[in-house]
Amino acid sequence: MEVNPIAVLLVYMDSKGDRLLFRYPYENVYKDKTPLHSMPLAASAPVLNNPPLVDVAMSSSTTSLVSQVSSDTSRKRNPYAISSSDELLQTAPPPNTAPANVFGVYNSCCNTVPKGQLEGFTDEVLSTLFAVKQQLCNQKLELKVNDVRFVSHPTLIPRNEHRNSAGNTSNASNTSNTSLPLAAPTTTTSATIGTATASSLPQPKSQPQQMLINIVFALHAQASYSIVKCYYELSKRLGLALRFEEQRASYCTEETMLMARTHDELSSQQQPLERTFDAITERCTLAQALKSIYHDLCTTGLLNTTLNQYLTVSFCLPQKAHQLHKKGSMVDPEVIDRCLSSLKPYHGMLLVDYAELLDCVPPRAARMLLQLVEIYTPLMSLQMLASEADMSIEHVYKMVSHLVYWGKATIIYPLCETNVYVIAPDAPLHTKSHLVEKFSARFAGMSLFDAIAHFSLPTSIGHLTTPLQQSARQGMLAQMVVWMLQHHLLMQLHTYVQFMPSDLDDFYGGVSTMNVAGSDYSACSDGVNEHKSSLMDLQEGTTTHSSIGVGATGELLISPLSRSMNVSDDELNAGSLLSCASQPLPVPHTSHRSITEDRYSGGCSTASDNIVAQPSSSHKSNYSMTASISTENCDSIASIEDEERIKELLSVFNDADRAAIRRIPASTNIDDLSLLVKLYQAGYFKSEHHLEEIMYFQSLRPAELLQLLDKFRDVLIIYETEDPAIASMYNNK
Amino acid sequence: MQVSTNDYYEDSGREGQIRCIFLSEFHATAGCKISCQVPADYVSKEVFDAINVYIIPKPHLQRCILTVNALDIKVVGYPVGIENQQKYARNAFLFNLCFVCDSWARSVQYEPVVKKLSEYLIMMEEESCFLSKEGDHKLKLQKIFETVIKDLNEKKVTTIVEGDTTIYLKIVIHKPDPPVVKDHMVPLLLVDFKNTPLDKWDLTTQQIFPYINGINHIARIAAEADVETNLVKSCIQNLAYYGVVHLLPILKYSNVYMCTQHLKSLIKMPSLSQACRKYVALNSDKTHPSIQKVFQFYASMTHGVTLRAICQRLCPQNYNIDERKLVIFGLQHKFIRCIHKYPVFTGSVPSGRQKMYTGLSSFDEICCKTGLSPLDIERDIDKDTNVTVIWK
Repeated sequence: MEVNPIAVLLVYMDSKGDRLLFRYPYENVYKDKTPLHSMPLAASAPVLNNPPLVDVAMSSSTTSLVSQVSSDTSRKRNPYAISSSDELLQTAPPPNTAPANVFGVYNSCCNTVPKGQLEGFTDEVLSTLFAVKQQLCNQKLELKVNDVRFVSHPTLIPRNEHRNSAGNTSNASNTSNTSLPLAAPTTTTSATIGTATASSLPQPKSQPQQMLINIVFALHAQASYSIVKCYYELSKRLGLALRFEEQRASYCTEETMLMARTHDELSSQQQPLERTFDAITERCTLAQALKSIYHDLCTTGLLNTTLNQYLTVSFCLPQKAHQLHKKGSMVDPEVIDRCLSSLKPYHGMLLVDYAELLDCVPPRAARMLLQLVEIYTPLMSLQMLASEADMSIEHVYKMVSHLVYWGKATIIYPLCETNVYVIAPDAPLHTKSHLVEKFSARFAGMSLFDAIAHFSLPTSIGHLTTPLQQSARQGMLAQMVVWMLQHHLLMQLHTYVQFMPSDLDDFYGGVSTMNVAGSDYSACSDGVNEHKSSLMDLQEGTTTHSSIGVGATGELLISPLSRSMNVSDDELNAGSLLSCASQPLPVPHTSHRSITEDRYSGGCSTASDNIVAQPSSSHKSNYSMTASISTENCDSIASIEDEERIKELLSVFNDADRAAIRRIPASTNIDDLSLLVKLYQAGYFKSEHHLEEIMYFQSLRPAELLQLLDKFRDVLIIYETEDPAIASMYNNK
Repeated sequence: MQVSTNDYYEDSGREGQIRCIFLSEFHATAGCKISCQVPADYVSKEVFDAINVYIIPKPHLQRCILTVNALDIKVVGYPVGIENQQKYARNAFLFNLCFVCDSWARSVQYEPVVKKLSEYLIMMEEESCFLSKEGDHKLKLQKIFETVIKDLNEKKVTTIVEGDTTIYLKIVIHKPDPPVVKDHMVPLLLVDFKNTPLDKWDLTTQQIFPYINGINHIARIAAEADVETNLVKSCIQNLAYYGVVHLLPILKYSNVYMCTQHLKSLIKMPSLSQACRKYVALNSDKTHPSIQKVFQFYASMTHGVTLRAICQRLCPQNYNIDERKLVIFGLQHKFIRCIHKYPVFTGSVPSGRQKMYTGLSSFDEICCKTGLSPLDIERDIDKDTNVTVIWK
């Protein structure tokens, strides 16, 4: 996986030189590639301390293995040895062979990182690369070598020299607390002696001695910009934490000294480098911290590492953290930011991961979060959460944003009976999915597929339950919906409104043709339809038999013939046109709003039937209504004030739009018209706001709004789609 | 899932121009220095000194493509060392030809170019000491760099003749992997390529080209063009990689579509709505269909409503709308999304065709694989109580 780091390195530099103090993982980096026959030679060379023998070793192992030998013996390398040019890195193919010939794998990855290991880079090379010059410190450094990308924030840390004695005592208490291995006390004392001698050297007093600590992450070169940015952020954060700890307790001085000592000690015993790093990991808390950071990044992407038992560094790699509830998805922080920036007070929060919820905050910051989580339910909007928890809405936003970023929560529209859900387009629903078992473990005896098949058509909880078997089943259903939302299997649909009056020419032209078409249609619809469809069936049958593989898909081939489209509908929504008015179920527009006890109740059953634009009926009725308008106008002309008020209201529209609105009978009702104008002026009819949002911000009751939309349906087009704020977190391909 | 690996490259993926080209060498007495730079002083001495360890690195990193991004510049280099005890004062000549870009810019596409140009320079150096000799060579080199930077930024390709050597360079843009092409997908040729003469394409493309019409699916194209299916798939994949075709789901009147949040851009962008009205017109001589009708058509697409039902309700022909083109345009611009049907086998041991009902292959795919009509599959599934159908 390109998200995982290949390695983490710790490079140190001070006035005396640079050194790679620690790298992780270090297992197999050295041993695997050295052939057995050259091992004893290389190992024996330093033992004998005989430079000519090293030369023999170097020249005997000729090709690509040289670098390994040289890495083992790098510290004792004979300065006169001939450097071989055939080293490991150079044998690697260039990272980007352009896709000149086409049908192969496109972006073939070359391997300096086989098995995800950082190979071919000796400690010496790495340390010279990352012990950077002063000008490059305290800013981003990115280096790409073939297909490995190194990213870091080299941090200059002023050495804390005033704490010699104090540092000693605190260190002693530390060692007693953590029960370091036996070697530790001796080395730490020598370390402090080291600092003592260093500080006793004649130095310009005004300038405290500085050291450079560079925590470098080696990544795959294909890792995206945002991944690289996250790792840079982490390196920077760790650098700052180390600087703080150095100021507080001379932590860096001690740890780096300890590491350096261990290096010297073990290499003087001719121990292999792995052993050295083993010892460092045992002795140094900083090395342990880096090791745990590496492992956390590879597993969860969530870090909570305490440095020196004092300072907690928490960090989240969203690209990794958001894979837990849905494998294979990659959520960039930019996407999360986009989602969070469009957060509204009517949105709700859905916690994904109760158990490990408080991982994401340092313990001291947990109180506020607990306060929020205690009162939380997925039924509440953020606004309600804020007032219940007695916090400001901005504060709630911040906490919710934090939870979402850390993959602990997702944004939803607060759960309610009337919310309409469908299966998310990218829902990983297949027989091998791990979610199938997870679901049946959570809901005993239930099948995920059976449960979710209900949402193949847009459906609400209210719709799936009947008043008779209410409470138990509804509770169960709600639980399932919550589970599916947590796993991003469901997506909520919202209704959007677009103001769009048809222009006059189109209107009259449409009506005239429409009438013809309508009669034409009604003539053929009932009887002929049947007949034709059976004919088509026959045709399909013949194609199936005659053609091979391709044509056999029958319906898949659209011949101009079938454009007469009278083939009977074989889907669930058979004959949807004819039945859509009388039978509300299969057409979602009508289905979810005509639920008896929902919020939309009252007057909406009439609304719902006609809310889908049905030109055949609506245009006709329009036509007849234009005739009736004049009479109505005559009636209402009594109140001239009203008429003027209407004119005034209509003045916000341009001429064509005004004419179109005039044709609607409801435009003579001042209340209706003023509400329409108000919403229009507020920009709610531009496909930007769903009905829930309009209701929330305009404090409208559902019935009011739906009635209005129905009355003005000739100039408004209504459609359903997902809330972009929430949908951005789904992986829409 | 397979898309993710190469979708992303460094720095937000934006491409930037080459700002500067320089040649750096390790001088026998002066150490690391820039010996030739175009434009002059783009990389200042201070900046160069800070990063020279990455420009002239240890021998271990020679002949690696090395990119360093620091101090607001991004330097792509290919450090080289030529050993020759007779010729050179220090027994070796170390140099590095570097391209400099903005620190935000993507630079992978320059890597092969840097390497190739370096190889030319190595050759010229080995033959005539072009780089190491003092004299007017530096001027020639400067000329070369000037041409390279100008041509590559403008035309992405350049040819330079210098003495006996002819240098050919071309920037190949690195694109994300193309999608996997399956039997049931429909390639749609993008407008820009409609008028490309047939003989400009490769042989396979020439053969299948007449059948790419936005209606035919891969298996049908293969059958009609009499080309092996896998060959067609590879060819279409290639075309998709270069952005010549767009892959769409097959168009059926029993298909269900839903509109997406992008539908609003049809209203917001007048150019798009003009293009749409022109494209979806049934008869281009008549007045183009009104945007209201087009929008209404899209808006009525939702779960559970087939294309056929919408056509019956709205009668698109009466408004000079070709519903097939309307669907194609919508899919292409992501106004609408096809909602596919996935049969899932929920029993214990699948047998026969049930093995295909994994939830991974859609109805269309199964139809293409089995050669059965959707109706047959439909009946098959209706009978089987162990199969659930999911729409998504």
